[in-house]
Amino acid sequence: MGGYGDVQMIDENGLRMDGRKPGDVRPITIETGVVPVADGSCRMIWGTNEVIVAVYGPMEAHPRKIQRQDRAVLDVAYNMAPFSTTDRIRPGFNRRSREISKVTADALESVVLLELYPRSKIRIGIEIVSAEAGTRCVGLTAASVALADAGIPMTDLVVSVASGKINDVVVCDLNKEEDNYGEADLPMGVLPNTGELVFLQMDGDLSPDEFKQAWDYNMDAAMEVHKLMVEALKGGGN
Amino acid sequence: MSVPLVPKLLRAHLADLALNDSRLDDRGQWDARDTKLETGILARAEGSAKVTMGDTIVLAGVKFQIMTPYPDRPNQGGLMCSCEVRPIAGRHWEAGPPSPQSIELGRVVDRGIRESGCIDVDELCIIPGEKAWQVILDLHAISDDGNLFDAFALAGIAALRDATIPAERFEIGEDTPLKVSKTPIMCSYHKVGGRFVYDASYREELGGDERIHITLGDDDHVHSLQKGLKGIFTAEEFDEIMEHAKARCAELREIVNG
Repeated sequence: MGGYGDVQMIDENGLRMDGRKPGDVRPITIETGVVPVADGSCRMIWGTNEVIVAVYGPMEAHPRKIQRQDRAVLDVAYNMAPFSTTDRIRPGFNRRSREISKVTADALESVVLLELYPRSKIRIGIEIVSAEAGTRCVGLTAASVALADAGIPMTDLVVSVASGKINDVVVCDLNKEEDNYGEADLPMGVLPNTGELVFLQMDGDLSPDEFKQAWDYNMDAAMEVHKLMVEALKGGGN
Repeated sequence: MSVPLVPKLLRAHLADLALNDSRLDDRGQWDARDTKLETGILARAEGSAKVTMGDTIVLAGVKFQIMTPYPDRPNQGGLMCSCEVRPIAGRHWEAGPPSPQSIELGRVVDRGIRESGCIDVDELCIIPGEKAWQVILDLHAISDDGNLFDAFALAGIAALRDATIPAERFEIGEDTPLKVSKTPIMCSYHKVGGRFVYDASYREELGGDERIHITLGDDDHVHSLQKGLKGIFTAEEFDEIMEHAKARCAELREIVNG
């Protein structure tokens, strides 16, 4: 959060700098089968975020100490490519990418039927090749599409969207400038068929009313994005 | 990278195919897979390219940083080439610190581009002894079905040719295209079934022996060579490869220079 700024991001008509209304999400395109050597994959372009996810497995889990006798383990690696941001990122793991990998795995473990594949591993590689804002949401959403593309049984897809606050107005799906000067950020991971949640983070400052508004924006946006995910999965790919 | 068990059956099959002058995907000894080059495809990079060769897909992105010139070369900027093959690219690539394989990949590609002199590092100097541009070329594998070397080298030079120096963002003048005066191209050959083939697939790499990488610049000047993995080759075999490389590099250079 950049904190309160003097930068005006909402015009007199209540529209945002990119012309969106407060509850609108950025344009999204979803494609499956984009990594030919993987068991399942997904490219998701969300605003100017571009994320590629590949799924491998279920496969042998090694070293053996990571095996679980009663279920599969998920091995999630979220990574930002060095050229994905304005200033180059030094390659390699950092604390941020580790945390995002972990919460993404926690969210997906809640929907994948892990008990069907004891002692095995399912690997999910999330590569952010172009970052705008909300990469963790795009990564998680794309990962659930890639898992479905790989034919891995799940109780539901996961749709992740974030809402936040700029110039004291609650808005959905912050873009880069809004994220830089925003006053709050509430990313959620929703199961569209039940409305249940598997992922939740928040930082910033929201009043109870603002929090309720952000929550509702996320729920509505999730249902909208879910339609695109189903369309992409039904439409083919590999 | 985990060490896969190379089935003896695969090796035997590749040897049979070689005897009949055929390959796993029916290509001839010197045939390439369909090769596609796209540039300007990454929103945040100052230059970018995507190369697709069959099921092998790689990205290259160029970023710029301000550096302090080295004391012994106060009038020069820098060029850095780094390569990462992350677990997304194939089930045989594991997470963790860069493997020797991926380090070799990055260094061989780097040498071909650097030694061709396609980037004039003197031109990258902003204030002698104080400020210069560092060009950073990052190579990123998306899907590894063999021959990442050639895919990276092609994407790398294409991304550099696509690059713009972001001077405005650093408040030192106007954005200008990065000057790239030459077009080095790499061709790689793998010994498969007892003979060298061009543009090996992952299964050919798996069941093959040594490999040879050749980078040729404009006018067929040789800029980098690398022999990798266990194996012995003859001067005659090398001559044959070099003849093919000259022709193929010229074809690929046409694609890059468009």
